[in-house]
Amino acid sequence: MTACCPSGHASSTTDYCDQCGAPIGAVEVDTSTTTRHDPCPGCSASRSGDDRFCEGCGHDFEAPSAVWEAVVSADRRRSEGQASDLVAFPDVYPERSFRLEVARVQIGRSRPRPGGSVPEIDLAGTPEDQGISHLHALLERQADGSYALRDLGSTNGTTVNDDPTPVGSDAGRPLVDGDRIRLGAWTTVTLRRR
Amino acid sequence: MSNFTADTYQNEFLPTGGTEVNAVVTVTSSGGGSTRPGAEIVILDTSLSMGVPSAKLSAAILATATAIDCIRDGVMFAVISGSTDARIVYPRDGGMAVGSDATRSAARLAVSRLGVDGGTAMGTWLRRAGELFASAPPGARHAILLTDGRNQHETSEQLDEALASVEGCFQCDCRGVGTDWEVGELRRIAQTLLGTVDIVADPRGLADDFRRLTERAMGRATGNVSLRLWTPRGATVTLVRQVAPTIEELTHRGRPVDELSVDYPTGSWGDESRDYHLAIRVSARGLGDEMLAGRVTLIEDGELRGQALVKAIWTEDEQRSTQINREVAHYTGQAELAEAIQDGLEARKAGDCETATIKLGRAVALATASGNASTMKLLAGVVEIDDPVTGTVRLRAGVAEADEMALDTRSTKTVRLGSG
Repeated sequence: MTACCPSGHASSTTDYCDQCGAPIGAVEVDTSTTTRHDPCPGCSASRSGDDRFCEGCGHDFEAPSAVWEAVVSADRRRSEGQASDLVAFPDVYPERSFRLEVARVQIGRSRPRPGGSVPEIDLAGTPEDQGISHLHALLERQADGSYALRDLGSTNGTTVNDDPTPVGSDAGRPLVDGDRIRLGAWTTVTLRRR
Repeated sequence: MSNFTADTYQNEFLPTGGTEVNAVVTVTSSGGGSTRPGAEIVILDTSLSMGVPSAKLSAAILATATAIDCIRDGVMFAVISGSTDARIVYPRDGGMAVGSDATRSAARLAVSRLGVDGGTAMGTWLRRAGELFASAPPGARHAILLTDGRNQHETSEQLDEALASVEGCFQCDCRGVGTDWEVGELRRIAQTLLGTVDIVADPRGLADDFRRLTERAMGRATGNVSLRLWTPRGATVTLVRQVAPTIEELTHRGRPVDELSVDYPTGSWGDESRDYHLAIRVSARGLGDEMLAGRVTLIEDGELRGQALVKAIWTEDEQRSTQINREVAHYTGQAELAEAIQDGLEARKAGDCETATIKLGRAVALATASGNASTMKLLAGVVEIDDPVTGTVRLRAGVAEADEMALDTRSTKTVRLGSG
């Protein structure tokens, strides 16, 4: 028998939590009849019994698991007409690919200083697009496992595909397979579902 | 196999921001038919001083014979004669004898032929006892150590090393005959080996005392029992003290079991009841919150036998949070009483009459308030009591050394609430 206390600790004692001492009350999970589940891939909350949806973020545990990927490339078309050295289009731009494994994926450019925050999708390093802010945008996992995009108050803004309207920083813009996120001078991040 | 029950006495209510949780846990063991064979060793001081006067040795031999008579059939036993080294008087084949009419009478005969020789090296005696016990099957292992003098032929460090090497192997009750032995020394041995210490001023009292000790040991049906204390993450155990029937500090004797649990040794149990005072410091929670501050379980041979819960509830109601639980208050007083006696006697020995008068006066007041009649009687042998309630006393001149030592050794004996 294990129980789960109000603070979320798994406890082998069912009266009081064997970690923090909080009374456990009626919340009790008998693991002899229910299988133990991994925590929610969306928000890391523990899954309550065989519940289909996560109590924390609404993630559907039974949805076929999809793997999302962000492919970063340079788009020459976008750099045309821009003459600044800072944002000069690179001669060589190897494609970079990031697997989206956590619920919140930040896109940005880390500063070379100790202790500074490093975004999950870090676009620092040569060839570097100086038009990308240090913390530029955020990909947030939705209940269905797909991602939505928010701008994090970047200097040069974020757009999606050919829509010139900048992505807001309040509401997330849902993304589908193949959407291209445009940021900086010439950087394009393409979302792929595998 | 014994049954253990444990009950908690505490005021679980804490004021806003309160962090100190105090509780007295009473542990009672019952239903233990002696199913275990057990093992018993008598360690008899046979140094030269035991022969002066000769009545001392003969009383010790008689007492040992009495103890041998109390050994039950099937119980392993041996007798060690201690001087500068340790000699096994019985049995002679190096191991331990199995209790029967034949072995008991052979042991009595061997003991009766004992003479005196050499000095006193208790650490060596204890090590030899430890080696013998190691050859016995598991079960309750108990020794009685009788001496009449100081541990002169060993350094204090040697004794400490010997104690460390046998700690947990067996329990040992220590008895000092006459007044030439040192209370602190025997107390150290008894405390480490979870036994008692007492003075037998008159050698003629030894036989009865040995009978009581052996019979109690034979009645102990459990193996080694630990008191396991779980406390929540972030909590600190500030006190673990046995407070009845005697005061034994256990706070620093715990062995961690895991991150949150510590085992404290209690030795083996007969049908008996012991009280423990626990103090736990927790991190304060919100008003109205409840928390388990401690879980006490009794562990015998790795198996759980009964438990008690120590709780904390934060409340705004000062009437509830400011009350001190009666048992906690009582045993806090009993511990203070023992300390006042020991401090007072030490000051008296050092010639500091003022401190001695204050401390022993305080002891008289505490003994009066708690109805500890036996301690009161012993105190009266050392001080003249003008007012037992306020503790106004005068030091007696010409106190018999035996009275002072009796007060010292028995200062840790407590009374239960309402029994006085």
